[in-house]
Amino acid sequence: MMTQGFAAREISKAFGALQVLDNVSLTIKPRETVGLLGPNGAGKTTLINIVAGYEPQDGGTVTIDGAPLDGMSPDKRARAGIARTFQSGRLFNSLTVAENIALGALGVGVSKKIAEERTASTIEILGLASLAPLFAGSLSHGNARLVGLARAVASQPKYLIMDEPAAGLNESEVPRLLEALATIRENIGCGMFLVDHNVGLVAEACDRVAVLATGILIFDGSPQEALANAEVKSAYLGDATFGGLH
Amino acid sequence: MQAILDAISLGGTYALAALGLGLVFGVMRLVNFAHAELITISAYVMVVTNDLPLLISFLLASLVAALLAILTELAIYRRLRGTGPAIMLIASFGLSVGLQKSYELIFGALPRSAAVAPWMTGSFEFAGLNFTISSLVTVAITIAILLAMGYLVERTTLGLQLRAAATDFKTARLLGVRSNRLIGSAFAISGILASAVGFILVVENPQVDPMFGLNITILALVGIVIGGISSLRGAALGGFIVGFILSILNTFLGNARVYAYSYLFLAVVIILLVRPGGILSKRNEMERV
Repeated sequence: MMTQGFAAREISKAFGALQVLDNVSLTIKPRETVGLLGPNGAGKTTLINIVAGYEPQDGGTVTIDGAPLDGMSPDKRARAGIARTFQSGRLFNSLTVAENIALGALGVGVSKKIAEERTASTIEILGLASLAPLFAGSLSHGNARLVGLARAVASQPKYLIMDEPAAGLNESEVPRLLEALATIRENIGCGMFLVDHNVGLVAEACDRVAVLATGILIFDGSPQEALANAEVKSAYLGDATFGGLH
Repeated sequence: MQAILDAISLGGTYALAALGLGLVFGVMRLVNFAHAELITISAYVMVVTNDLPLLISFLLASLVAALLAILTELAIYRRLRGTGPAIMLIASFGLSVGLQKSYELIFGALPRSAAVAPWMTGSFEFAGLNFTISSLVTVAITIAILLAMGYLVERTTLGLQLRAAATDFKTARLLGVRSNRLIGSAFAISGILASAVGFILVVENPQVDPMFGLNITILALVGIVIGGISSLRGAALGGFIVGFILSILNTFLGNARVYAYSYLFLAVVIILLVRPGGILSKRNEMERV
């Protein structure tokens, strides 16, 4: 029987002598939202890059609903149901917001008509109608992050990987992001993998939290357990974001 | 009036050449010098098939140029993707020279000649002004192709993906855009555009030699730099400006027309000093350029 869900099993990666990931295993069930926390240099971005196919792992395997993704290019993984957002946004500044979102849908091979329908529905559910005709290059940072999220959502992925979606957002923008994540969860129903420094955001948005420290997965459990876990706290000692929660 | 029409006509021809170059540059960051040989082969095909009806001859030329463009992508550029712009540039030089020599072997070093669409070389008077038919036809062809390209680029899925790839090819690919298909399409379209340029040139000058398309390609490259290398509109506009200025200079410099290129490049230097990223560049695009 096919295993439903997304799984990264025993992933290892080294850059030269530096072991960035050491036998990291992580699963996401359909419709589940999993957060990944970790201090700078913990290996979070490397794990995302491996999962999304941007760089190969040294060991381990990545599967989606039991089918291996290893060796597949990012575009093929996109068509297999994995979408990601980028830390730097990476919007096409000379295209409109609607065109940026449409590209997310077109990238997975749907027809122009279906892409237009998905674009319209994504714009509607995320409340981006007023931004749709604007050029992406004219957006505020917060709006650009939301559009990046919308572009990924328009592909209607099975699993959505978000690379620090709250980075650079101000206090008033984080609740809007949380609202958007809840809307995506309700309307799209994809599994979500949320990597961020903002512990408050991760704790509120996620069903489960994993914590990486120096390339080793040190915790996998509920957000409440993560906040109370001594090893997690220790890994975050000196991290202002985590400290700010308490 | 005729001088202005000629300038618009030449500007349009250069715009088509620049658009073909700009399309390929957009998706591959490749300055494809071998675009010249696509123009040349289409002109050769039209000369060789001169006995056939003009439309059939032109369609054959377009097909051959598009197939050759796709072949060069498959056989050479695809294998060199990711090797860096310098290597790609040198490869395009090598391909250009290699194709020129191949044409020399196939068609000979001396010009091949045939009157392609001789009716277009005539002229007529209207409202006391003299117009050449070729200028009017060239303007009509250019407008039709630019409108078709505008539709393709602005209204179709392929066009949206081409525009996205021209802005950030890596991200477009990461979103699932099929890079091989997109690049192949850009090369095929650039071949078709080259054949339109070849047709216009061969009507004006039916002496086709292996270096037939070189001059316009180099000047079109200048055009896409001054128009804005990262934008298709910029490429077309830049090509048009170069052709327009060159035609005006040739008309009005009289015996001093030998200096036309000097004045043209002086204008290019001034434009680039004022707008280093090209006329249509935005500030945030300059770094990429």
